[in-house]
Amino acid sequence: MQKTGKIKVQWGHLALLAVLGTAILAYLLDARATSLRTNNLILVQPMSILALILLLMVLPQCFQRVPPAGAEEDHAALPATPKETPIELAKIGVVTGAFILLAFFMEQIGFDIAVFSFLVLGIFVCGERNWIANIAFSAVFTALLIYGYGAIIPFPFPLAVL
Amino acid sequence: MINFDALGDAFTLLSTSWSAWVFVIPGLLVGLFFGSMPGISITMAMAIFLPMTLYMDFLPAIIFLTSIYTGAGFGGSVPAVLMNIPGTSSAVATTFDGYPMSRQGRHNEALGLALSSSVIGTLSSYILLMFIIEPVSGVVLKMGPLELFVVAIWGLMLLGSLAGDSIPRGLLAGTFGLLLGTVGMNSAGYIRGTMGIPWLLDGVPTIPAMMGLLAASQLLNLVNTRHLIEDEDLRKISLKKILNGFRESFQFKTIIARGAIIGVIIGSIPGVGSSISNLLSYSEAKRNAPDGDTFGKGNPKGVIAAESANSSSEGGAMATMLALGIPGGGATAILLAAFAMHNIVGGPSFIANNQDIVYAIIISNFAQALLLLVIGLGFVYFASYIVRVPMRYLIPSVLVVALFGSYAIDGTSSGPITLAVFAVIGWAMVRYNYPVAAAVVGLILGNLVEGNLLRTYQISGGDPAYALERPGALFIMALMVISFSLSAFSKMRRKRKEGAAMGAS
Repeated sequence: MQKTGKIKVQWGHLALLAVLGTAILAYLLDARATSLRTNNLILVQPMSILALILLLMVLPQCFQRVPPAGAEEDHAALPATPKETPIELAKIGVVTGAFILLAFFMEQIGFDIAVFSFLVLGIFVCGERNWIANIAFSAVFTALLIYGYGAIIPFPFPLAVL
Repeated sequence: MINFDALGDAFTLLSTSWSAWVFVIPGLLVGLFFGSMPGISITMAMAIFLPMTLYMDFLPAIIFLTSIYTGAGFGGSVPAVLMNIPGTSSAVATTFDGYPMSRQGRHNEALGLALSSSVIGTLSSYILLMFIIEPVSGVVLKMGPLELFVVAIWGLMLLGSLAGDSIPRGLLAGTFGLLLGTVGMNSAGYIRGTMGIPWLLDGVPTIPAMMGLLAASQLLNLVNTRHLIEDEDLRKISLKKILNGFRESFQFKTIIARGAIIGVIIGSIPGVGSSISNLLSYSEAKRNAPDGDTFGKGNPKGVIAAESANSSSEGGAMATMLALGIPGGGATAILLAAFAMHNIVGGPSFIANNQDIVYAIIISNFAQALLLLVIGLGFVYFASYIVRVPMRYLIPSVLVVALFGSYAIDGTSSGPITLAVFAVIGWAMVRYNYPVAAAVVGLILGNLVEGNLLRTYQISGGDPAYALERPGALFIMALMVISFSLSAFSKMRRKRKEGAAMGAS
């Protein structure tokens, strides 16, 4: 059987497997460092080893053969590959990055400023080009959230302005 | 079949507490709203509103969440009929005949059929649940730690192997979730995987992690969507014609009954649920109908078959969750997390000791189904506008609401940080076709699985022959092997068939 075409690497999938593999291995080593007794490792050790084996089974799926131009594609063999453009991917990256920063630093910055800034940026990245509408919506929504949630939960929100 | 003492207590519970009822209509509206938005799933709606239930009593909290579940079931069918886009995966088969009916100007009739089938499906599944709770509670109480361990692993294997495109990816998601569920201090007192972070001693915060995996990750995937629906014509809604459709559905009792039975059975199997039951019921109705060749061209029977099955799956999934404490998918995983938030452990002891609460949940679902009739009718007038909500405002807003919800759990940044981390993991998993629900269920069951395995080890003294003394466990193990082999075999056969079809084309 003649196999033609280039091998395409799914770098994102590979990165995901690397993160999962590192986390599972680190967890297994940490559990073993805690104690080697059965009461500690009874589930964690076999499950970690099983997860690593499964990960190795999935690994080849990160390398897909791209058929040469004009040839039929064998779509059935593997799950569909994502098809965002680099710009679309960058937009997801910006919103995700801003969301992570918001989660980690909103207590230090103050919920009001942090949430308002995230909303303005998020709405802009998602496609709103009318700045007045964007800023007005973000300001009103931030105030509603802070006073609305503040009324029902017993914990105070660290605030900078409101 | 029915424990009438507990049923009487359930009526007392519901008739003396206004708080049990006050959240039904808001829950239905939330479910209808989110369910009708393509891309926003039932589980996402439930996950976003889960932290809010922390400040409710247990019964109102569960009733609120099941109301969202019920509302979203019908909500998904509205855009399926009007715009050929299923609001949720459970409404895929509804589009097959619902949209052709719409194209023929019969959208009101289709909506009436969908509403009545949804209501009857929900009602019949909960009636069935009411009858089986008493006998099931007797059986599940006989289960020891080994049986509970095997059942949990079976559920996870089914979920991992049936959901998604690839079995290894599904099982990897499930085992990864299971490992996450064991982080922190185990029941024998050993502390693992905390990375020195104090709040991980109690384990990964389940609710923010679920919100990240099920809701925030999906929102990040929608960043490049401008409107959910952009260029469909608005269709005129007529109450009279909807009611005609509603009446028409009663001519097809057999299809509704078959759909409801398929829905309950499929719904009770972990990993399958309403997204499969509607397709299966549709194909069964088509196969048995004398006018099967008109299916897909606007046959009302297609809408009835799909909607009766997807709504009755809720009762089936609830039966597994209540009886065994094993969630079959994202929605029931959220319900189980709500149990845990109120310090209640779902499963055999709950169903046996709190039958009044179980019956109260069932009775409330009868009421939800009937209220859905009224609210659903009003809702279809607004549904075609809801799907036009601009995503550029919706995505950042709902992300922030989720973040506030996760902060509200204990007032520290542990919730938001967990939410953000799991949103990224969930986004990557969804992008590469890993079933996120398997990871969520693993996360919830991790502690239970380890605890039961540990107890089995202690009871048996580490002797594997102990399993031979537990015929129930052996039987479940045999079922597990058979069902896993069957699902693996059918998946391989389907792939081979698809490969052959591609080669031939």
